[in-house]
Amino acid sequence: MPMLIEREGVTAFTEAVDTFVRLAEDEAPEADHTDLLVSFARFQAEGEGWLAEGRRMGVWLSAVEPVEGLAYDLPRISLVALEFAKFRDGRAFSAATLLRQRYGYAGQIRAVGEVLRDLAKDMVRCGFDSFEPADDSTPEQWAASAFRFRHVYQSAADRRAPAFRERMGEG
Amino acid sequence: MSLAALTASNLRDGEVVFWALGRWAPRFADAELFDDPELGQAALILAKAQSTVVVDPYLIDLELEDGIAVPTSYRERVRALGPTIHPEMGKQAEGGVVIQALRVHSGGARSSGRLGLIRLKK
Amino acid sequence: MYRYDAIDKSVIEDRAAEFRDQVARRLSGALTEDQFKPLRLMNGLYLQLHGYMLRVAIPYGSLSANQLRGLARIGRTHDKGYGHFTTRQNVQFNWIKLSEAPDVLDALAEVDLHAIQTSGNCIRNTTSDPCAGATAEEVDDPRVWCEAIRQWSTLHPEFGYLPRKFKIAVTASAQDRTAAKVHDIGLVLRRNREGQLGFEVMVGGGMGRTPYLGTTIRQHLPVNHLLSYLSAVLRVYNRHGRRDNIYKARIKILVAALGAEDFARQVDAEWTAMDRQAVDLPDIELARIRGAFGYVPFADLPPVSGVFEAARKADPALARFARNNVKAHKVAGYAIVNVSLKAPGEVPGYGHSEVRVTHEQNLVLPHVKLDDLAAVHAGLTAAGLAASNINLASDIIACPGLDYCALANTRAIPVAQSIARRFAEPDVAESIGELKIKISGCINACGHHHVGHIGILGVDKKGEEFFQLTLGGSGAEDASLGDVLGPAVAYDQVTPAVDALVEAYLRERRGAERFLDTYRRVGLAPFKAAVYADAH
Repeated sequence: MPMLIEREGVTAFTEAVDTFVRLAEDEAPEADHTDLLVSFARFQAEGEGWLAEGRRMGVWLSAVEPVEGLAYDLPRISLVALEFAKFRDGRAFSAATLLRQRYGYAGQIRAVGEVLRDLAKDMVRCGFDSFEPADDSTPEQWAASAFRFRHVYQSAADRRAPAFRERMGEG
Repeated sequence: MSLAALTASNLRDGEVVFWALGRWAPRFADAELFDDPELGQAALILAKAQSTVVVDPYLIDLELEDGIAVPTSYRERVRALGPTIHPEMGKQAEGGVVIQALRVHSGGARSSGRLGLIRLKK
Repeated sequence: MYRYDAIDKSVIEDRAAEFRDQVARRLSGALTEDQFKPLRLMNGLYLQLHGYMLRVAIPYGSLSANQLRGLARIGRTHDKGYGHFTTRQNVQFNWIKLSEAPDVLDALAEVDLHAIQTSGNCIRNTTSDPCAGATAEEVDDPRVWCEAIRQWSTLHPEFGYLPRKFKIAVTASAQDRTAAKVHDIGLVLRRNREGQLGFEVMVGGGMGRTPYLGTTIRQHLPVNHLLSYLSAVLRVYNRHGRRDNIYKARIKILVAALGAEDFARQVDAEWTAMDRQAVDLPDIELARIRGAFGYVPFADLPPVSGVFEAARKADPALARFARNNVKAHKVAGYAIVNVSLKAPGEVPGYGHSEVRVTHEQNLVLPHVKLDDLAAVHAGLTAAGLAASNINLASDIIACPGLDYCALANTRAIPVAQSIARRFAEPDVAESIGELKIKISGCINACGHHHVGHIGILGVDKKGEEFFQLTLGGSGAEDASLGDVLGPAVAYDQVTPAVDALVEAYLRERRGAERFLDTYRRVGLAPFKAAVYADAH
């Protein structure tokens, strides 16, 4: 299992315990699995029942599964895991941005797959707040990469003040 | 008979290098020549394990021209020489018999005939 | 020149530091080559045939004299004393060591230059008009909008890992000097009937193996919504562009697959749903950017310079230079001087310490006093840079080709040199008139061969260099893609073939018709007959 890093406050990152049990496609949850992470297909088929049992639900989206498919369920979902099958596949950045900015999703967005610290700044800016680094990054290394840049040019899901606001004396 | 050499680029400085009995040599003239494909493959496996020394090692086909082994492909001749537009730059600057052989037989510049003799496919 | 403030400088410095860390991790083995390659490419570092090549961004082609000196210093210290200006208005160094690359970036940062996003599947340097701020044709200074795009696209968190590279061009003149229609997005700045500035937005242009001209998806985008609209286009592309096949990954394929109307509809839906206020620059920031370009202290001069007119009459070389390389300036008493780089030498200092790089791989001195023209010409002559051949047959675009490039199939520069020698005689070149020859050493089309009046594409045939000729392309406002002439010709037949094409043109030409116009009127047949023996 890779380490799980979670964002804590504005600039800190910490190692976290993953409470979500990742169910294989043919695996049934145990009674004490309170937090479940399942595929989009499985969530559609069985999510209703698990939610009724009082479990917390996480949904794993591959890059080809659009976030729009989760729109109406988002208030009941505790975690969305967005997959980087290859770190060069940037679709999850748009997915996270839409989750935060268009759908106002307040739950956890987790980066899974080929998650390198070189992407930390982009992930944090697009609204990811938990990470499974594939490069053995420590929380300290993750923080250094995420906040390496003293200024940013764009407004994004992290609500960091972009350069044009800073220049106007805001932020 | 097939003839091959093993080449790569140095990781640190990008220089073209050739496998020469377990080390990497900058001159094509020093390249180890493999007439046994299995020996070439064995060297390639060793080279691929040196990922902090070289980038993208691969075997290149050679042919004999006037008794001197030179790369078959024009691209590899350019790599072994340097830019053709700057003969004073790259490995070719040093000169020597092998460099001369590479230059003389630069395959890509071979002419296939004169203008006016080009036949349209009917 | 846009002057960087502390924020702009910090971004470049922080990026250089980040890359230093990435290089260290690669050298130590913490990053594999597969992981490192996209990271180094996003910083313009390629591994080419003879070594690492570093592509340095020249934002929208604009350089200060100090920056040009900075580039020269890097060329001397870390390279072999030369560089290659690209069709993207950038410059490339060919002999950079990976271990020294971080130092080169620090040296670049000292003169406000960088290599950010000069490669990789991200938004690249914006192309613009080298005559911006100097030509009377333009409705507004396109550089203001280019700078807005530069800031928005620099390290954009959502659009750093697109399906493929992404190139934007901005022009504000009727005469298009940016090849806007063969960009992923081409933006043409215009005023509507009410006098308001807006962009015509064209998407899906591009070259490579499937060339397309861009299609207009919006006639008049209000300028203050530029960045939100671009964000909408990029989001649709990032989400829906193909990632399964590198040759079908550019936005042109998505636009062609969906149809321009459907693509525009998706962009509009995205744009409507977007919080535009968060993305678009407020007027105060646009005004700040405009101001940061500073003002050129133009003198109050008569439109005709007696000094220049006398010098021109006395010196035929200067007269020729003025005919071919000097263009009208918006301010009386000034001129725009094109410096042809299709001759070796160095660049002397004139023109308010500003130099522009053109996509045709030349330089422009944007603001030269007519009174100074003779002195500028003398300086250029001394430096071997006074070739009076702008847009003539010897002013050829060529990619680095197989002399440097790991992707190339054939050489391109020696082909260009050979053709240029054939048309070196100035009277011959001038009598032929405007003729844009563009050479690419492979199908990636970095030499823009699709839009050459004569395009030359290098192909590999069983290890031999062959060249396919196309006719009738144009990257200007009358954009078109060239038509294939016939079977490819061998390396040493290219110049004779071009010669034959020119002969055919001179036979067919009516009046002052350009090569391109003659071709468009008479078609392929006479040209085919001239090059291929039995095509009659």
